[in-house]
Amino acid sequence: MEKLSFVGKSLPRKDALIKATGRAQYAADRDFAGMLHAAAVRSPRPRIKILSISDKAARRVPGYVTLVTYKDIKGVNKWPVVMQDYPFLPQGEARFAGETVALVVADSARAAKKAAALVEIKYKELPSVADPLKALEKGSVKIYGKDNIVSSFVIKKGAVDKAFEKAAFTVEGEFSTNYQVHAYLETQGAVAVPEADGGMTVHSSTQCPFYVLDAVAAALALPYHKVKILQTVTGGGFGGKEDVPALVASHAALCAAKTGRPVKLIYGRKEDFQSMSKRHPGWARVAYAADKNGRITACRVKYVLDGGAYSTLSPIVLWRGTVHAAGPYKIANVDIQTYAAATNKVPCGAFRGFGQPQICFAQESLIDELAEKVGVDPVQFRLNNLLAPGDKTITGQKLNSSCGLKEVVQAVKRRSGWDKKVLSPKRQGDVVTGIGFSATYYGVGLGAKGRYLDRAGAFVNVYKDSSVTVNVGNTEMGQGALTVLAQITAETLNAPYDSVRVEEVDSSKVPDSGPTVASRTTLMSGNAIIEAATPIRERVFKTAYDMLIAEGADASKPMLAAGGLFSMGGKVVDFKKVAAGCWDRRQKMSEQGWYAAPRTTFKMEDGQGDAYVIYSYSADAAEVEVDLRTGVAKVKKIWAAYDVGKIVNPRLAMGQAQGGILQGMSWAMFENLVYKNGIMVNPNFTDYVIATTADKPEYDIIFIEKPYAEGPYKAKGMGEVPLIGVAPAVANAIKNACGARVRSVPLLPEKIWNEIKKG
Amino acid sequence: MPEIIVKPATLKELWKTLPGLSRNRRYLAGGTDIVTADNAGVERSECWIDISDLPELGGIKETASSIFIGSCVKISAIEKSAAARRWCPALLAAIPHFASPSLRNMATLGGNAANGSPCADGVTALVAEGAFVHLALKGKRRRLPLKDLFLGPKRTALKKDEIIAAFEIPKRKHLGAYLKIGPRAYFGISKAAVAVSVELSGGAVKLACIALGSVAPVPLYAVKTSAWLAGKKLSPEVIRDAAALVKAEVSPITDARSAADYRREMCGVLLERALDSFQS
Repeated sequence: MEKLSFVGKSLPRKDALIKATGRAQYAADRDFAGMLHAAAVRSPRPRIKILSISDKAARRVPGYVTLVTYKDIKGVNKWPVVMQDYPFLPQGEARFAGETVALVVADSARAAKKAAALVEIKYKELPSVADPLKALEKGSVKIYGKDNIVSSFVIKKGAVDKAFEKAAFTVEGEFSTNYQVHAYLETQGAVAVPEADGGMTVHSSTQCPFYVLDAVAAALALPYHKVKILQTVTGGGFGGKEDVPALVASHAALCAAKTGRPVKLIYGRKEDFQSMSKRHPGWARVAYAADKNGRITACRVKYVLDGGAYSTLSPIVLWRGTVHAAGPYKIANVDIQTYAAATNKVPCGAFRGFGQPQICFAQESLIDELAEKVGVDPVQFRLNNLLAPGDKTITGQKLNSSCGLKEVVQAVKRRSGWDKKVLSPKRQGDVVTGIGFSATYYGVGLGAKGRYLDRAGAFVNVYKDSSVTVNVGNTEMGQGALTVLAQITAETLNAPYDSVRVEEVDSSKVPDSGPTVASRTTLMSGNAIIEAATPIRERVFKTAYDMLIAEGADASKPMLAAGGLFSMGGKVVDFKKVAAGCWDRRQKMSEQGWYAAPRTTFKMEDGQGDAYVIYSYSADAAEVEVDLRTGVAKVKKIWAAYDVGKIVNPRLAMGQAQGGILQGMSWAMFENLVYKNGIMVNPNFTDYVIATTADKPEYDIIFIEKPYAEGPYKAKGMGEVPLIGVAPAVANAIKNACGARVRSVPLLPEKIWNEIKKG
Repeated sequence: MPEIIVKPATLKELWKTLPGLSRNRRYLAGGTDIVTADNAGVERSECWIDISDLPELGGIKETASSIFIGSCVKISAIEKSAAARRWCPALLAAIPHFASPSLRNMATLGGNAANGSPCADGVTALVAEGAFVHLALKGKRRRLPLKDLFLGPKRTALKKDEIIAAFEIPKRKHLGAYLKIGPRAYFGISKAAVAVSVELSGGAVKLACIALGSVAPVPLYAVKTSAWLAGKKLSPEVIRDAAALVKAEVSPITDARSAADYRREMCGVLLERALDSFQS
């Protein structure tokens, strides 16, 4: 293993100080001379035909400036995401309650809000559909194509019917999961500033500045070189700032273009709930077959996601769910059919895990039932069937050596004291304690479905004073990208960590680097940085060598470079001096880098081929207390092990793991967004509750670092992995504790209590 | 937020200020309900009258027979009060269930009552304490049993501009408990809550006072179960019967927070556990 100075160390976060002291400038903190404020006018009903929009009453509000509608769109009124069915502003029909129909611009945020409330939409209510399963029925109201199917995938392998006929054991179950709200601290927001040459600069809270660039250029019909997107310090994303910030920023830009003045658009929490993306509610019917030795022989899945009113990211969310739908097992016969259905509700999109947690809850719950039928301990059952290096996934992809799945499962089994605990659930008064398990795999990056976007650029620039600036196209949203990428830069250049600064994304400084999603930033931007920094490194190292020789170093021993110092034969020179030396020699001290993911072979027709370039792996055990009389469950402890390749920053990785577990547990236990007749009932944190520190379980987390040769310093991807397996581990623990098998997330006390009552 | 927020220095000044203000006005105490409603776009008053620092509404006072908690005393101040701790055990037991520490630094019992919500933790506990509420309107004062202040969801017996001045809790030696099922470990609106105060004499109940939150249109005083317990020894059978009785007294609904049948059942479980806690 090579000796590393910066990678693998728990170096302090680059953004810790500005965030802790409140000096960070979020979108709402950006102010410009002459700035106006926008507020959205929203559709009140699930599906309406818009007859007219009038600002007659709104005009009386002091400070009112103008109304912006679809008529003000110079470009094509189609937001360019995946399928282009979502208009920037609707012309004839609005398709969900909360959809932006128009925007009001005024000289204060308060006046804009007040005026927006006074804009009158005359409309006719149209028949709507709320339930995704009903939407797929023949006689349903059609709101998308002829069948309400936004997207659909298959994976077919072997002879599934035959395998079920011949099976010694079979299980089947229906499972469902509810929405999850991203609950980022900072709501959506953007400030658009018109430029003198007719261009537009947009300050945007976003994970994906290049999606914002696509959208603003399209809405304003501007060439890309006249549009600049500057990512502001982003107060949380979790997928919620993948696609929709492009819509928010486009709205701000339309207002700025119409008024010729900077316009700020900052969402309130309620409208953020009602109109911004969510984790898709999921429904699945899963069946497994096993032979008499307890080997899984077949898996059949029907998986449906509730896409909401527009397709946005549903096709790619669904695809990730499809590829991982059978779990991390060797299975010869597979029939997976998946659908994203259109409904007249908020469009769903990316959320940490991206279509995997929903189906993982179903299949990992059902694996426990299969193990029980076979009569084997559920962890042993998993170990007997897990994928190992050289095995083929359900898409026929052969796994390489960077697969620590068995090791992570064994580690969690051992550390949790599984064998003893699973056999003897504890009881104290009305409270019983049980333990549950899950195992998952996770394709890192965009994979075959997003292959055209799976590239990233970097620009590395060493100044005369030896300070280093790095521009990348992937964003910091709280996950630690600025820090991890600075570590990779420092390591490659042998520059002190403190001298490296990675900047928030400026779309004019780096090429389109795809979205900051799919746990791809360390891998993609990290590799792009290495490509950019490597030629600079060669110059720096050569210059250091020459300088050491010039100082009289004994050249019989090789030069060592570590921690920002270069040493040889008793002489030492630091990075600062070497950088100055490079400049004196007129060396090129800035470079561009580019990394494109290797090709994948997956075919959409049968779902066979390599789906992702590389996989990360996880195992979770959950210890849960259940009150038998109230159904109230409390997660006491989570043991987790991950193989995400080399860990670049252990403290940040631990933070990602703990945060992912808590967010997964919160979804599993508490988070319950309720719709009634197409209207969101609880768009607030009073009634949509998320876990607090008081709900936090104890953590036991370890990393098993299976090096990935293609990764930057052998890293894979981390961010989404810890969330995925939590819900089924908790559900399996509840079953172990009290016998209640709850098949729908959230695992509310009411549901557990109902199952306990049934006995 | 309305354009106008006024802050009178004394009650007298308040009454003088009122006629000059918009009719569409509301009192602002801790602000934890009203500001949240404002953020959600459902608070439409044109004027807020900030009464949070009125000296007449602050402080915790004791007389020979009662303790008086000013309506604008912060919940966190009640938490720290030795007098409240001694004479209001059910209320003190409710405080950890009351919102979060930061909100308890702002919120008041006056606001908790005036908001008229059936799920108010502080108020439900006060009903079980047998509290009275003192109301003031211009020079006029009146005193009501707290349980009679509540007429329905978000509806109270408060007249236009009438103010809650204080809560009076009779001093009596008693035990208290507050148990609640919320949506998470803490900091959440209850699905069901039970407050109990009991005077025991030689193992028998001299006086029981049971109040329930979130299971009726108002913070519910359980008249029948409270009366039935009087004179009974707290045996396991009596406790079980009381739990059965209380389930018949409540009228919960199904909404986004919970289900009616679950809530009803939980009233029994929580009462049983509260009464059990007095046995040991």
